[in-house]
Amino acid sequence: MINNLIVSGSPHIHKPESVARIMWTVVISLIPALIAGVIIFGANALWVTLAAVTAAVLTELILGLCTRKKVTVFDGTAVITGILLAFNLPSEVPLWLPIVGAVFSIAIGKAVFGGLGQNIFNPALVGRVFLMASWPKYMTTFTLPFNLDAVTSATPLAALKEGKVLEHISYLDLFLGKHGGCLGEVCILALLLGAALLFIKRYISWHIPFTYILTTGVFVYIFGGDKLFSGDWLFHILSGGLILGAFFMATDYVATPLTARGQLIFGVGCGLLTAVIRLWGGYPEGVSYAILMMNATTPFIDRYTKVRIYGTR
Amino acid sequence: MREMARYGFTLALICLVAAGLLAAVNALTGPKILAAAAAEEQAGLSQVMPLADKFTAVKQGTDETVLYYKAFDRQDKLIGFVFKSGGKGYSSVIQSLTGMFPDGKISGIKIISLNETPGLGMRVTEEQFTGQFKGQNSMDLAGVQAITGATISSYAVMDSVMQKAKEIKELIKNDK
Amino acid sequence: MKNLIKEFTKGIIKENPTFVLALGLCPTLAVSVSVANAIGMGIAATFVLLGSSIIISLVRDFIPDRIRIPCYIVIIATFVTIAELCMKAYSPALDRSLGIYVPLIVVNCIVLGRAEAYACKNNLSRSFFDGLGMGVGFTLALILISAIREFLGSGQLLGHTLVKGFEPVFVFGMPSGALLVIGLLLGLFNLLKEKRT
Repeated sequence: MINNLIVSGSPHIHKPESVARIMWTVVISLIPALIAGVIIFGANALWVTLAAVTAAVLTELILGLCTRKKVTVFDGTAVITGILLAFNLPSEVPLWLPIVGAVFSIAIGKAVFGGLGQNIFNPALVGRVFLMASWPKYMTTFTLPFNLDAVTSATPLAALKEGKVLEHISYLDLFLGKHGGCLGEVCILALLLGAALLFIKRYISWHIPFTYILTTGVFVYIFGGDKLFSGDWLFHILSGGLILGAFFMATDYVATPLTARGQLIFGVGCGLLTAVIRLWGGYPEGVSYAILMMNATTPFIDRYTKVRIYGTR
Repeated sequence: MREMARYGFTLALICLVAAGLLAAVNALTGPKILAAAAAEEQAGLSQVMPLADKFTAVKQGTDETVLYYKAFDRQDKLIGFVFKSGGKGYSSVIQSLTGMFPDGKISGIKIISLNETPGLGMRVTEEQFTGQFKGQNSMDLAGVQAITGATISSYAVMDSVMQKAKEIKELIKNDK
Repeated sequence: MKNLIKEFTKGIIKENPTFVLALGLCPTLAVSVSVANAIGMGIAATFVLLGSSIIISLVRDFIPDRIRIPCYIVIIATFVTIAELCMKAYSPALDRSLGIYVPLIVVNCIVLGRAEAYACKNNLSRSFFDGLGMGVGFTLALILISAIREFLGSGQLLGHTLVKGFEPVFVFGMPSGALLVIGLLLGLFNLLKEKRT
């Protein structure tokens, strides 16, 4: 997809790629993280995800019928929006929360702008930010992993923000997801498995995820510690929604730059904003805001990194 | 040149009429505004110190800033103090009014002005939070629980009350 | 007479200052958190609009064209200050919740817009009904926006809880919620206009 937009002289090779095919592959790539979420947080994680997906698909269907546009439900984009939204929620939220969020994602985040391919922001993140601003109480109450009594716990990043020492969490725990957090973001291992599939299929390129994670890591390493060059960069990469955001949400085809150079700028911008929000901002986590802010700059990045047409100035 | 003079004259005339009108309205509403402000102040004071019958302001300096209020009961006996305090919250300065008995126990607090996040920081105005201050020692406020998810706003109120209470105690000591 | 009624009603729907002319959006965004605020703001703005329209249409032949803007501003500012002083005296709570937005009516484009576009060219009775219509249209728009925002943002209307157990959608109490509601209503108005023609 990345370089498939080049138009050249014949002969052309036909590939059986289509929007639907790519999108359903992305859905498959998200399943390991869902399984991990269910193992870590219990069946609730599954119900939340199903609620979000169902609401997203139904909203897309109803709006498609109302506006008499081509019904785009079966291409799987609504399913992805639903899954990604659910992945950004705590597992113990009441079930109406993912439903309202998914309706908002599709209706306001996508349909208002003209539907598939027209949205300027990642719809799932629009939904998440809406929920975060509307019901912060539910969105910031996380439960301990492997605990059926739903004991609340802070996420590692939130605990860090409040100045607590985090000695009991090892990097391995962070990597496997044994800590409080949103249901789809905690298990880095599962997310990387899914991302690997997308890389092998060449559906996403390295530009955005790599620069995004690298920038956050370097910035945190330089400014995140008590003195310069002493920040805990590995902790920041492994905690919060950075991996989920970098591989699955910052790589959205619609709301990100088209050119490789633009994508590098986009990744660096996301990384800087995320690190700045985490270190000095009001919220413990900044991935969703960083990606949304960079989504807004995409048209400008595209304009200034446009490939010059041969023979023109 | 004559044009200019005419313009100036017209504008001056309009301004003169406007100024006269405003002076009249100000004379009419001025006393009412002062009375409304005073009534509001009294209402706030008696809300945090319900036992008191009247309050006198203790002022300082040439600009007469109010340091704190003394509260008296019906027999003109001093029963406590009321003071205003402000602390930097999450996105605004949270101002509160605190009533305190002479032994340092709090009779009640009221949040006067703030601009925090709705649903989180804004909850410091709720009875669930402010009600906890009643009967607490203003020096440590150990029994006050911060609101979950709004610790910054909660501590802004608690810290500002504690700090101001200490200052007031010093002032009262010097007063005697 | 029929003409005068037309001058009045055009401000409510056909030339609604908020949804059709899209004027004066700053106070609309800021004070539409609650219906009580909206009514207070609407009344204050209508008073200013009415007062300035009357005076300006009366003195329109007396004011030289080249200095008309400063003259209008002085007239408008006078009415705004009167409104502010009265509000402070008789309704201090409302004055506090509206805050800076009452004095800011001076720069509300609806007021100067009507003075410049209508009152300085029309006679007293027409200007009166035009100002009244615009004021009422602005007030109704404010009430509509604030009713949606107050209900969704706090589950209340005019301070009364309507639905028990409703989880308020806090975002509608914030500026972002105001932009959302106004955007959707503007879209709706455009849709209706398109349908009619």
